[in-house]
Amino acid sequence: MDSFLTAFFSGTSQGAIYALVSLGLVLVWRGAGVVNFAQMGQAMFTTYIASQLIQNDYSYWSAFVIALVSGAILGAIVDLGLMRPLTSRKNSQLLNSQSMRTTIPVIASLGILGVLKAVAGILWAGEERGFPSPIAANALTIGDTTLAITGFDLFVIGVVFVTLVLTTIFFTRTGMGLAMRASALNPEVTRLSGIRVGSVRTLSWAISGTASSLAGLLVTPKTNLSPNTLDLLLIVGFTAAVVGGLNSLAGSVLGGFIVGYVIAFVNVYSAPENVFLAILVFLLLALFIRPQGILGSKEVRRV
Amino acid sequence: MSKVKTHKVIGARSTRLAIIFFIFILLLSMQFDPYNQYQLANISTLLIAVLSITLLTGASGQISLGQGAIMAVGGYSSALLVTKLGLSMWIAFVLAIFVSALFGLFLGLAAARLSGPYLAGTTLVMALAIPSVAIRFESLFGGDIGFTVDYGYPPNWLTNLIGEISIEEWSLYVALPFAALSLFAVLNLSNTRSGRTWRAVRDNEVAAALAGINIARTKVIAFVCASALAGLAGAIYGFRGLVGPSVYSTDLSLLLLTAAVIGGLRSIGGAIFGTFVIVFLPDVIERITKALALPETISNYLPALLIGFLLLLTVIFNPRGSAGALEHIRHARHSHKH
Amino acid sequence: MNLRKPLILTVVASALVGSLVMNGFSATAASVPGVSSTEIVLGMQLPQTGGASPGYNKIDDAARAYFDYVNSKGGVNGRSIKLVAKDDTYKAGVTITTARELINNDKIFAFFGSVGTQTHLSVVKDINRRGIPDILVNSGYSGFYTDPKKYPNSFGGLGTYTVEAKILGKYLKEKYADKKIGILYQSDDFGRNALAGLTAAGLKFEAKKTAASFVSGTHGSIGLGTQIGQLKANGVEVVIIAAVSSATAVAYATAAALAYKPTKWAVMSVGADSTTFQTILGARGTPLATSAALLAGTISASHIPAAGDADDEFVKAFKKINTDFNKGPDKTWDFNVLHGMNIAYIATSALMGTGKDLTRAKLVSYMEKNGAKLSNAAFSPLGYSASTHEAFTGFWLGEYDASLLLKPLDGKRVVYTTDSGSGLVTVSNYQRPAIAADALPKVA
Repeated sequence: MDSFLTAFFSGTSQGAIYALVSLGLVLVWRGAGVVNFAQMGQAMFTTYIASQLIQNDYSYWSAFVIALVSGAILGAIVDLGLMRPLTSRKNSQLLNSQSMRTTIPVIASLGILGVLKAVAGILWAGEERGFPSPIAANALTIGDTTLAITGFDLFVIGVVFVTLVLTTIFFTRTGMGLAMRASALNPEVTRLSGIRVGSVRTLSWAISGTASSLAGLLVTPKTNLSPNTLDLLLIVGFTAAVVGGLNSLAGSVLGGFIVGYVIAFVNVYSAPENVFLAILVFLLLALFIRPQGILGSKEVRRV
Repeated sequence: MSKVKTHKVIGARSTRLAIIFFIFILLLSMQFDPYNQYQLANISTLLIAVLSITLLTGASGQISLGQGAIMAVGGYSSALLVTKLGLSMWIAFVLAIFVSALFGLFLGLAAARLSGPYLAGTTLVMALAIPSVAIRFESLFGGDIGFTVDYGYPPNWLTNLIGEISIEEWSLYVALPFAALSLFAVLNLSNTRSGRTWRAVRDNEVAAALAGINIARTKVIAFVCASALAGLAGAIYGFRGLVGPSVYSTDLSLLLLTAAVIGGLRSIGGAIFGTFVIVFLPDVIERITKALALPETISNYLPALLIGFLLLLTVIFNPRGSAGALEHIRHARHSHKH
Repeated sequence: MNLRKPLILTVVASALVGSLVMNGFSATAASVPGVSSTEIVLGMQLPQTGGASPGYNKIDDAARAYFDYVNSKGGVNGRSIKLVAKDDTYKAGVTITTARELINNDKIFAFFGSVGTQTHLSVVKDINRRGIPDILVNSGYSGFYTDPKKYPNSFGGLGTYTVEAKILGKYLKEKYADKKIGILYQSDDFGRNALAGLTAAGLKFEAKKTAASFVSGTHGSIGLGTQIGQLKANGVEVVIIAAVSSATAVAYATAAALAYKPTKWAVMSVGADSTTFQTILGARGTPLATSAALLAGTISASHIPAAGDADDEFVKAFKKINTDFNKGPDKTWDFNVLHGMNIAYIATSALMGTGKDLTRAKLVSYMEKNGAKLSNAAFSPLGYSASTHEAFTGFWLGEYDASLLLKPLDGKRVVYTTDSGSGLVTVSNYQRPAIAADALPKVA
């Protein structure tokens, strides 16, 4: 029973982080039709910015806000500087090819990842460092029993749900949000209907940049920060997004928690050495049994 | 260039080009000092892996971020055959091709249902998972210690023929024939009907299906061929010294993709050029940083930074890579066709 | 698809690259590579960047500082020592290339102090087959040293993980016989060798209960929540950690968050670098006093004096040399700097002992025959012999005090000694010879 609770609580708190990563991926996928492999690179970079500010005696919360804003700016830069010039090359023979239109942005995002890691290495060296948490990470107690979950974990879970609600409202209730959905589904038609597809896409990159920056700020207090440590989270977040449905915000959050439990239970009941294999098997199963994801809708899946 | 060609003529052209490549590298190696001879061996080895991407991504339109993992399959199978069964390295290399092709078959069956970002993500997960298999099944795969294997010594008939052979030269002589053969195979493949079928699927699946092409089968075959190449590359790469999890890292997978993109995903000449760039660029940068006396903190990260920038500049300004730039110049003279 | 023109361009371009890369390597065919009348060139491979670099990336600068000091005093038999270090980012695929670079371009005489087990495995066979000495390897993997027929030129530069674990295990088994002892280890050669050593000392662990493992490197992304939770849930009272220092920091912080307070922590020396520990927790917002309090009381082992042991004569001498000669980006005095200087001290002794007429074979033969006699900062003799090339055969156990100085347990330094095989753990009666006033080795 103790092992079960350990796995359950660990899965819940880790799952919240994975949900945030997965949410960031889904935001860009819905807004721009790209899976952003540089996402955790952006998260790493903005978390370093926050860490630097805190070392220069800024308060935690001002560093937090600046990091979120720089996450948005970085996301917008990626779109304006890279993705937009890429997709606007309609005359390019290479991009006329169906498969290359989806492949080239993936390669471009990998380039961004490489550059961000190298720049972070130059600026902050490759050494692992810690990162503070906004509220004390102390285990909760019920009576005499200490639970394997901390106040900080609950805070993260809260943040995930607030983010989910805000983005859902944005997508379903605001004109801009509806335009974003439309532009991802069918850019040509959307353009013809007078919506400025370009700025809508940039906005979705910026929102996703903020979400991933948030993920970086909230995962590092429990682990360490270094140019490479967040790589693994991208893989996990991707799996979560596919499991939940790449085009569903709620699905991505659900997927995050599911993958969190899978990892935690494999860790406790099987062995940590099996975690990567479990992720791969789980991802393949998800792709074959329900390729559109648990909450994803079938018609827009572009597999 | 006429589209109607008999296989015989194509075969002759591929043979000619492969021989030119072989002789060119050999001539280059004679001008080089031992270290750069070794780098040429590296180029020959990695070229095979880059060609597998040219085939898979460039010709059939399927992206893989996990070629390093397939290389690991080739490396581990050949190392096991040599250390556990006592086979000769050469036989092990050839068998590794078959093992990886078989692996590619399974992978291809899964991948044929995926495309674009889904395939990219899944292969990336695989790139992380495969090395951890080595740790999980430690008794068979040797955990993170792996297998220390090497090319051994050159055979006597060769040393009798051309005199003493250094370790660096020997590694080149092992890798180069395989590189030339792979080049020959890929040149042939891309000019035959199956190559054209692949390109049709790559450019428009719906149109290809309407033309009677079996999409799934085409994709699986491309995966099998690419995996066979990657597995061979992995075997030769591992026998440089160690077959172990840290040899086939995700960084390696991404570096190979970078080489293919910089050179031009669709061009075989581009694959050669891209491989030269990723192998020699760090050396060139080291010379520059030494000359400028840059601090360690910058110089250590400079190769990764420049290779990343090169990749970005390529996809933004010239997504078809260096080979694409050439085509562009040619287009001024020839009519547009594809 | 016309391939000819790109190919021709490729030929031209690559020839261009080739001519750029190669410039004047006119080999001044010296009789012994890396040795001239004025210089001895040594090569080291280590992670200077990347996840595995923290701490280790100071070893080359520390060793170079000592060599520069030796050079300032006239060098070894009239030759100065030059150390060329290459960053292999802790990836075996890269190490193979940097090794060829050191051998062929830098024309090194010997490899010295190369860091890392997996990385060194990828080149050890090649180095030995070329007959290049491979001295003071910074790996505790006993496989490099215990079979000199396999790797005749490789000599250790660290005590093996097995030796350290056997010594630590014996002490813990006796001292905490009535407590539940558990382990957190990374599932690689280091973690497994440590586990084997502890088991050889008679400790028993149960997988999924008192033994928790993690895939090395994942502590920074997935964290150690389940592992620490598992040890807590199973009521483990003494936790042994066999993991790198950054993972130790995550483990302690996670335990604190989960209100898990084992009676005792014991950390294998690889993971007990207090500087790394405090830096990581410091950036996390933990005040230095708090992180010091977390680590205080922890048992660890060392083969050399504690870096903070200001009264030790080796520490005093090396610390001064570090201040005067270290040109590295971070020369903060700590265990890694002390260790780097100490292996440089041993290398200098060996080069002196081999004599003016220096060859590779002579150095190897000297290391094997006389290496065990080379005194240094360690409290146990070196184990080099014809039957094994293990370095430090002994460790002393200590406990971190509130200022994070590793103090000998029970107030008295006892050095235990054993081997990587089935040998017993015994108390060593070795007396460390004093360091000379000029801090240079004196070799008969």
